[in-house]
Amino acid sequence: MIWEVFRQAKTGEYHTHCGNVHAPDREMAKQFAAIQHGRRKPTNSLWVVPRHEIGEIDAEDVSFGGTTDKSYRWATAYNTTGSDAREVVESEDEQATAEKQQGDD
Amino acid sequence: MMDLNTVKERAGPREFSPADDLPREYREAATRMIEFHANSEIMGAYLERPFIRQSPSIDRKLAFSAKVQDEIGHGQLLYRAAESLGVKTREEMLDDLANGDGKFLNCFHYPLKSWVEVPMISFFVDGAAMRRQATLRRTSWEPYAHAMDKVCFEEGFHVKHGEDILKELMTGSRKEQQMTQDAFEEWWPRIIQFFGPTDDKSTHHDFAAAVGLKQQSNDDLRNAFLDQYIPKARKYGLEIPDEPRIRERDDGTYAVEEDDLDWDEFFTIAKNEYEPGLGQINGRKQAQEAVDWVRETIEADAPTAGGHEPQAAD
Repeated sequence: MIWEVFRQAKTGEYHTHCGNVHAPDREMAKQFAAIQHGRRKPTNSLWVVPRHEIGEIDAEDVSFGGTTDKSYRWATAYNTTGSDAREVVESEDEQATAEKQQGDD
Repeated sequence: MMDLNTVKERAGPREFSPADDLPREYREAATRMIEFHANSEIMGAYLERPFIRQSPSIDRKLAFSAKVQDEIGHGQLLYRAAESLGVKTREEMLDDLANGDGKFLNCFHYPLKSWVEVPMISFFVDGAAMRRQATLRRTSWEPYAHAMDKVCFEEGFHVKHGEDILKELMTGSRKEQQMTQDAFEEWWPRIIQFFGPTDDKSTHHDFAAAVGLKQQSNDDLRNAFLDQYIPKARKYGLEIPDEPRIRERDDGTYAVEEDDLDWDEFFTIAKNEYEPGLGQINGRKQAQEAVDWVRETIEADAPTAGGHEPQAAD
């Protein structure tokens, strides 16, 4: 049985998919996940999810959009003057990180 | 049920969730606060919507329609967070907003007449809102804080885009610069009133702060906003109006002369009795009624969708 593994690097961050393990039950899956996916990269928590429990919808089922250039949606697309409020900088950083992570795994 | 003292003792960031049996006082205060926030997102979006069409370029039109769409989404996230308190349903909140009982932000009661006014909302008011929202990521009602994560993620684009519009206008023709300055003078006192009355006159602050719903006082938020946005306004060549008088203290914080602001108007607005604002409320009501058939069709068509709530027999 295949279990998909999701790793959270730090408290409060999202669990992101990082691979899978073969295991007969949940307990074994957790142990394998800890060994295979929790050792080398910073890990705060892991989720194991039976593959058959995951719902998938792909580009053949539905048109996702995202084919046009939507760079106007990102704070990083605008050059403004002077230092920004820290919450604006934070938001921009989060967007920049999300943009960088697109296509990972 | 958790008693109020326990709530106050435990009141840390993201401390309470729908799994907690919270006292009525907490749930009502949180509902009032989040419903106000949700209503404001919706009313702000309706205020800005006509300017999708009036955008001066295709780039602006794309970005501005994306922004308005985001705000409606924020409203929906927040109604969900409010609904999870079990005091009011989403339908009740939307109906209250339509019939004039739902409260929302002072700035969204004023008509928006011209494109030069757009950055007053999408830079200054959104910047003010973002200041406040950033602190609400530490609110004690977890679903509210969680909604703020998504809102703050998107809001950076809104503020930067708003600033970009301001920059464009203030580097444009003299006429554009003058019109923008006029709009700024008209909006500036309203923007300062965004943060509500000063701490000593705020009615709901004490309880909301004691139970961890609200993370910073009106005065602190206003100071932090002025500290950041006065230099920004000046940088783009806007002159800060003489009134309300704003004094910079030795510690770098600001004191706003309260009596220079029109509090009668503010409290008339707070009661939804400000005449020009009624047009905003009724306009949205008509939109809600005009798309009733969509909601009805979706509801009739999806008897088993979601499945977390029992469906009515009809």
